Amino acid sequence: MSTPKPAPGHFTILYFATATSFTGKNVESLPAPLSLRKLGDVLEERYKGIKEGVLGHSLVTINLAYVDIPEEGEDDVIIKEGDEVAIIPPVSSG
Amino acid sequence: MTTTNQVSPPPLEGESSISLPRIYVALTDSPLDILSIMDKVRSPEAGAIVTFAGTTRNNFASKPVTSLTYTSYRPLALQTLSSIASALLAKHSLKGIAIVHRLGTVPIGEESILIAVSSAHRKAAWLAGEEALEECKDKVEVWKREEFEDGGVWRANRDGAVGVQVEEGKQ
Repeated sequence: MSTPKPAPGHFTILYFATATSFTGKNVESLPAPLSLRKLGDVLEERYKGIKEGVLGHSLVTINLAYVDIPEEGEDDVIIKEGDEVAIIPPVSSG
Repeated sequence: MTTTNQVSPPPLEGESSISLPRIYVALTDSPLDILSIMDKVRSPEAGAIVTFAGTTRNNFASKPVTSLTYTSYRPLALQTLSSIASALLAKHSLKGIAIVHRLGTVPIGEESILIAVSSAHRKAAWLAGEEALEECKDKVEVWKREEFEDGGVWRANRDGAVGVQVEEGKQ
């Protein structure tokens, strides 16, 4: 994997397709640890409208595994330092 | 519709692949070659090889497409391709299965995906070939961007219709 390692105390987040267009980035580092449940709010603060425009119809992976965003009352997932998170919009291979 | 501040595509990374017994999956920046993918599934136990080539179309719903570019989350897409191939190998008792997707800009009319499957008898290969493509279009983490004269669209297979036109540079 050619993705650069994040700085200490950070995780890497990768953007693809509509997420890249919306943020103007392919990759960036965000402060860790972060509750997965708060990821949407953190991104919304940086990129106003991304929740509705991109996240609402995208999936999320942490270290190449798909994760569900925990609902209220469910156990949260913590994004840790050095993790690789990705926003996965609907795919269009073929 | 504006296309200012367009993000430059990631640098070319050559070919990455996963090779397992009877399975070959790959992502490549180079033109695809049908003979070399057939050779990946060739077997003395096989009575049939079925191949599929997906090619890039010059229009979407009659609107002229000027170019197409594919990007991918490579390690995840390879992992997904490999699990699709493993599942079909077992389900249809295939002798071999190979799937290769091209990334970067693919000129109109050229192959963007090749699938080859071999089996003892033709029926299993026909079925597995079709299923492999449908599974790929549904799951593999590759994204197609179609450029039109008035802007670009990130296509979404699941929409099955006109994709969302993406406005660039919202930051």
